[in-house]
Amino acid sequence: MPPVFDAGKCDGCGICDLHCPIDVIAIDEERRLAFARYSEECWHCGSCRQDCPTGAVDIVFPKKMLLV
Amino acid sequence: MGSAEQMGSVIETDVLIVGGGLAGLNAAIAAAEHGVSVVIMDKGGIARSGAMGGGIDHFTAYLETGEEWDTREAYLQNLGKVARGAVDLKVHNAIYCRELKGSIERLARIGNPLTQPDGTFYRTRSMGRDGPLSINFNGKKLKPRLADEVRRLGVRALEKVMTTSLLTRDGQVIGAMGFSIRTGDLHVVHAKATVLSTGRVDRLFETPTGIPFNTWQCPSDTGGAQAMAFRAGAALANMEYVLVSVVPKGFSAAGLNGLTGMGARLVNALGEEYMIRYHPHGSRAPRFKLAEGALTEIREGRGPIYVDCRHLSPAELEHLNMTLGYDKDTLPDFVRQKGIDLAKDPLELQVSEGAIGGPTGGLGSGIMIDERSAATVPGLFAGGDCTDQAGTCAPSVTSGYAAGKQAAKYASTVSSKKEIDWEQAAAERARVLAPMETKPGVHYREIEDVVQKIMWQGVGPARNELGLRKAIEKLDSVEPHLGDIGARDYHELMRANETRDLVLIGKIMASCALYRKESRFGAAHFRVDYPKTDDENWLGLVAARRNGEQIETSLKRLSYEMPEP
Repeated sequence: MPPVFDAGKCDGCGICDLHCPIDVIAIDEERRLAFARYSEECWHCGSCRQDCPTGAVDIVFPKKMLLV
Repeated sequence: MGSAEQMGSVIETDVLIVGGGLAGLNAAIAAAEHGVSVVIMDKGGIARSGAMGGGIDHFTAYLETGEEWDTREAYLQNLGKVARGAVDLKVHNAIYCRELKGSIERLARIGNPLTQPDGTFYRTRSMGRDGPLSINFNGKKLKPRLADEVRRLGVRALEKVMTTSLLTRDGQVIGAMGFSIRTGDLHVVHAKATVLSTGRVDRLFETPTGIPFNTWQCPSDTGGAQAMAFRAGAALANMEYVLVSVVPKGFSAAGLNGLTGMGARLVNALGEEYMIRYHPHGSRAPRFKLAEGALTEIREGRGPIYVDCRHLSPAELEHLNMTLGYDKDTLPDFVRQKGIDLAKDPLELQVSEGAIGGPTGGLGSGIMIDERSAATVPGLFAGGDCTDQAGTCAPSVTSGYAAGKQAAKYASTVSSKKEIDWEQAAAERARVLAPMETKPGVHYREIEDVVQKIMWQGVGPARNELGLRKAIEKLDSVEPHLGDIGARDYHELMRANETRDLVLIGKIMASCALYRKESRFGAAHFRVDYPKTDDENWLGLVAARRNGEQIETSLKRLSYEMPEP
């Protein structure tokens, strides 16, 4: 599930993609939008959210982690 | 027959650093300050890669303030006690103590000081220390600041490049090669000295949530350096110890140190602060004791277990809430999304998955290094968690810097590099790229899931001879199936190569655990068939070396005299 990108704020600059230590994120060049290509590999480190210049990233934990 | 043309471009450098995490960036700074050319290869981007990428909240240091616990001697004496049989005090003294003061100054100089805004150190006691040796600080920008400094010094960073193989000639390391996880381009780096700093092994064991990347430390850290070094003939040590931590239920996250350091209590279902029964420091016991306590409480039916902050003062709670996200940026989000208020609710805990990350705080598991940060193969140096003598934040900073300095010194003595063995490089390229040709092939997870189950069941926190032998047999039978893994893109090619490293690392771990016929460090190495610690026969490091296709194990005895400053 995490990270979730706000399409209204994300301009596809790619900083989150470069900084993700797990290579979870990719940029949809046509829509200029970041997306979690390998979301099941997210480590929830929050680097993408910390470094996003437009505040477009939200971390939403999967239910599998919250409800156990 | 390989040739330079087939292999893409060759980059020439004095010092190559593999892994741009906390240790690697400090190594790069040291080498660059020495005036040599430096290249870093990193699977991620150096601003946030590695275990500390997203942030870190504590740095272990003695500050020589005049208190008796605040000296080099007291620190080493405590470590010699807590990590007896795993720490080589002479080496740790060289790569930590001698670099400590300079490292604290360096972090301040690059813009991420360890002090509070008022210039003072906020110090807490945890993890079995004799005094408050943990400096609590805001390290959320530590990695980006170090990366800025590395770039300012003119270091070239090859990012999103996975290093797969060391290049050797006449028994000497002369660089490394790898591929871009985006374009597949090969990168061959020809170096006078090579530093390995790729961290721990965090994806070797089945996870409690069943989400393979929900690991306590970085799931990109898959023992690349240890595997590469072993293949090149270097000795590894401290590889038998399984590190488990106590983490929030559902989220294998760092941050416990911050909570217990602040005075939070670990309690069981009966409301008892159960750690008192396991260690005189109670909830502030060393990590391997915390794991042993949690495992035992749950096994004996006194779970669930919790971390309880309700007795803390409003000021302590305020500091805790402010700093909770310093170590794991998203931990406050998790707690909130779970509907927990730490002032009112205890937070349920679980025992984490296993990892290879040193037997106890301050130490690592991996490449055996000497006082000059050198591996047992010429031309090769190492720093941080992938070594046997450094681990976690502060020792990664100091040992990385020490390794970079020593590598630069060594490089300055090399007048001309030995030529690259292009046949060796071509063979490595074929090995590494093979999953791209395997069609349709099985997904890497299918194999890795099996490896993680074998490891947790046979090489986890309780071990015996038959279980360890069976685990090795099973890993042997997995090996031929590695060739069935197919990769549809270069991201999956990275994963396929990581899985291959994990099988080798798993076998090394099981072999070392089988060899050490005693128990040591609580749950880190508990042999049900040899439940006692036996200093007479086992006070030392188990070294693992490659002998053809075999893993050879031997004991390197340690003694505990205080080293010279």
